[in-house]
Amino acid sequence: MNSRDYVQVSGAPQMRPTVRAMRWLAAVKIDFSLLVLVLSLCCFGLAALYSASDGDSGLIRRQAFIVGLGVIAMLTVAQFDMRLVRRATMYVYLGGLALLGLVLWIGVEANGARSWLDLPGLPSFQPSELMKIVVPAVLAGYLSSRPLPPRLWHIIVAGVLVLIPTALIVLQNDMGTAMLVAMAGFFVLLLAGMSLKLVVAGGLLVLLASPLWYVFFALEHQKNRILSFINPYTDPAGAGYNIIQSQIAIGSGGVYGKGFGEGDQSRLDFIPESNTDFIFAVIAEEFGFAGALVLIGLYALLLTRGLLIAVNAHNMFARLLAGGIVLIVFFNVYVNMAMVVGLLPVIGLPLPLISRGGTAIVALFVGFGLLMSIDAHSRRSQSPRD
Amino acid sequence: MTGRWHFRDHEAERRLFNRRVLLASSAIFLLLAILVAKLVDLQVVQYEYFSARSDGNRLHVQYVPPQRGVIYDRSGTLLADNLPVYNLTIVPEEVNDLAVTLDYLSGLVELSDSDLETFENQLRRSRVPYSSVPLRYVLTEEEKYRVAVNGHRMPGVRMEPQLMRHYPFDSLTAHSVGYVSHIDQQELDALDETEFENYGGTTHIGKTGVERTYEHLLHGQVGYETVEKNNRGRVMRVLASTEAIAGNDIALHLDHRLQIAAEAALGDYRGAVVAIEPETGGILAMVSKPAFNPNLFVTGISSRDYDPLVNDTVNTPLFDRSISPYPPGSTIKPFLGLAGLQLGLVDYEFTIDDPGYFQLPGVSYRWNNYTMRTAIGGGHGITDLRKAIYQSSDTFFYDLGHRMGIDAMHDFMSLFGFGGNLALDIAYARSGVLPSRDWKLETRGEPWYPGDTINSSIGQGYMWATPLQLATAASMIANEGRAVRPRMLKSVGGEPYRFEEEFSAADVVLEDPDYWRYMRDAMTMVVHRPYSNVFRDYGTAYEAIARADPDMNYKIAGKTGTAQVVGISQSIRSSTEIRVSEQNKDHALFIAFAPAGHPRIEPRIALAVFVENGEHGSTVAGPVAKKVTDAWLLDILQLDLTVELEPEPAPEQDPLQLNPSEVAALDE
Repeated sequence: MNSRDYVQVSGAPQMRPTVRAMRWLAAVKIDFSLLVLVLSLCCFGLAALYSASDGDSGLIRRQAFIVGLGVIAMLTVAQFDMRLVRRATMYVYLGGLALLGLVLWIGVEANGARSWLDLPGLPSFQPSELMKIVVPAVLAGYLSSRPLPPRLWHIIVAGVLVLIPTALIVLQNDMGTAMLVAMAGFFVLLLAGMSLKLVVAGGLLVLLASPLWYVFFALEHQKNRILSFINPYTDPAGAGYNIIQSQIAIGSGGVYGKGFGEGDQSRLDFIPESNTDFIFAVIAEEFGFAGALVLIGLYALLLTRGLLIAVNAHNMFARLLAGGIVLIVFFNVYVNMAMVVGLLPVIGLPLPLISRGGTAIVALFVGFGLLMSIDAHSRRSQSPRD
Repeated sequence: MTGRWHFRDHEAERRLFNRRVLLASSAIFLLLAILVAKLVDLQVVQYEYFSARSDGNRLHVQYVPPQRGVIYDRSGTLLADNLPVYNLTIVPEEVNDLAVTLDYLSGLVELSDSDLETFENQLRRSRVPYSSVPLRYVLTEEEKYRVAVNGHRMPGVRMEPQLMRHYPFDSLTAHSVGYVSHIDQQELDALDETEFENYGGTTHIGKTGVERTYEHLLHGQVGYETVEKNNRGRVMRVLASTEAIAGNDIALHLDHRLQIAAEAALGDYRGAVVAIEPETGGILAMVSKPAFNPNLFVTGISSRDYDPLVNDTVNTPLFDRSISPYPPGSTIKPFLGLAGLQLGLVDYEFTIDDPGYFQLPGVSYRWNNYTMRTAIGGGHGITDLRKAIYQSSDTFFYDLGHRMGIDAMHDFMSLFGFGGNLALDIAYARSGVLPSRDWKLETRGEPWYPGDTINSSIGQGYMWATPLQLATAASMIANEGRAVRPRMLKSVGGEPYRFEEEFSAADVVLEDPDYWRYMRDAMTMVVHRPYSNVFRDYGTAYEAIARADPDMNYKIAGKTGTAQVVGISQSIRSSTEIRVSEQNKDHALFIAFAPAGHPRIEPRIALAVFVENGEHGSTVAGPVAKKVTDAWLLDILQLDLTVELEPEPAPEQDPLQLNPSEVAALDE
């Protein structure tokens, strides 16, 4: 049905220009509400980054360039046909695994994680970031072609599909991204109707296993992060320093904040990693509770829009993919903010669309592009019925 | 479309999916509510607390140390100055590799082993993180340039400007003006609360001399500034400040030219010179030799420089001889003579026949005429008080002291400041010993023996006095009894300084004021009574002072002294009989004031010269004194001392010159 629509539009050469423009816009698949929300968040991010980096114009230019690149990627992906996407997922997934393997072989290390690929002719990038989108896509593809709720066997296969890239990313020593990828898979399973008893049982198992992990497997800095989460003041100058300074920044921002560029904690470098993981502290300090609420509100609107797209999607693959993307974005946002305010232990995750980043931002835009494509697809498939 | 491939219930799957989305939405809402609640807690409920914490992070109150007052001499020449210098400092936390940095720096500036040693010592001490540690003080212009050009290659290396105490005369004022150095913990502990606050930004404190005594005047009032620091402790901006109040500039009675002259006059000898202006008690010169370079202590002396100062047990350069007690020897005789006159034990006519020794009644032990052990023996013959002064007869004073008794001697001599400290602002000057029965019983637990009095009568035995005390006492003879309270401080901030205590000073009042003139004449004869045919009738310092300078146009009243260092048995009649090592040699002393007996001009200077192991008060210490009085009266004050030559009055009838032929011989 929708291919016929497409032919109709493109093959109408004798319409008035305004009508033609409107038809064209309808043909180019853009979800304006999503676009506005995403760009608002990016502008918010650029402003915060400008302040956090002390007006480092080189950094801002680079970030703006990446956002531009992301927008192009998003709009391009938005034009993809969902069936094409569905067919391509398994190949993209296998390609992603190959890239992850390549990272283990010739990857470049930065900030303790060996997760960059520096291939000739390409800017260096992190294949692991792409897997945040690829893994929900491949799971959505796998599960949607089987009756739902998934049977145990299907869950196990899906688990393997998730665990392979997760394990490869763990080997890169990038726990934050590995966790995101694993959660992305879990969210798709959850949306696909995986038995909640199984979820609760799994949760309990993790809870019971965590002390064992802490005693036998946890690394020193991981233990310190957990200890300093419980009480940051046991080591205020060491492990607890980040969270203490972050809380001071947020708290001292008050209701209306100290003003743009006036955040003492950020300006005087008391906030650690202020360009990346702790950028929310900069926002909360300079724009106060009001600014933080605006940011959270923007994210909430974005998530709402994304979930509406998921609910309205016309087939299960699109629903699962859209829902998975939305939930993984939320998870990423929430874990970062909760860590910065002290609700969760310090986990090295940036704030999506706000923190400085490269591949992570482009990957998010690809995700939003998929949402747009799903949206456009479902509208078109519904329109004849209306 | 429905049910095309499998028997799947797409509607049921869709409902399941929607239920799960609803579940996820609820979870998202709940979690966001928790996040917002946490933000409310942090930003609204605990806002005051975190706001204070944030200010505590960035706002720091820093002390602004006051500029230390400078010290002038009486002529307005700087004795202690503050020089702007650049110091090379290192913030260890900012340095990548300390060893490499130090190695690189050693190619740019001169780094001695002691610099590195001091640096590493300070590095080991507990310090504020990100505070700088000094490596090299006082960079030269060229070094400053080299560090500035290469600074970007050395993170953590800085040049910090500082006002540094500087003593332009180096060792000349080492003991008198003293020096400042780094405050140590003991000194910090000694400060009370307000003082401690006032020293918050101060690194140096007066350790010795005037710098220590007038620390309270020189230091000033600390200032404050509120600064904003970043998390590496670097000051980003100054938000508020209270100016520091600089310390007072002070001027001393000291004259740097006289100080130079006195120091030069001592030549290669160890010793001390203290010169006092009798009218005011102002200390014109106070030299202890050898000395040391006080500037070394300002920057923190290295052990390489310090060890030789401490370990030199012969020269003891750190030891201030001008305020340390020594046996005064015969220099106490004028005071003992005045005591004899005052107590009626002698008068102008009183004589003894000096056989060259003294015996206590009923005791066979002989106290020899000490100064004559080295000579040909025998005595001074018929000797009155005047001759006993200018010939320095021990026998006369053995007898006088014996008849006076130690307690009367003690009481009279204490009026001149012996055994105490009359100085108003040299608290650390030693008191020496003016012995008495009580003193000996208290300190030694022994009774006083008559023989002790005999020894004390010639400034030996238990009698100890400092050059400062001797100069003070000489000033009081020059003043004919008017009290002298020695002092360093002349003016503060240009205003003449008045001491509270000086009004309570006790003058020495004698039965007959003519005793002063008599003693002055006797002391003048020490220097000016020439040789004659009469055996032993010249002044002991005539040869070395008056005869050595025939053009001398003023008179010095003086008294020589030769003080025994080690007990040499009285039975040994000549020091040549024992091998006297260099440091066992007698100390040479001389007290004087000048001009003496001048018709127009009161004595303008009184002084004491002490020459360690100088052997002879007359030939060694005397000329030193002459050079000092020359420098003061002729070169510095440039007094017109020429006296209208009146016809020489007929020689008065000298009770000693019984033989007319001797009188004739004297006149030749």
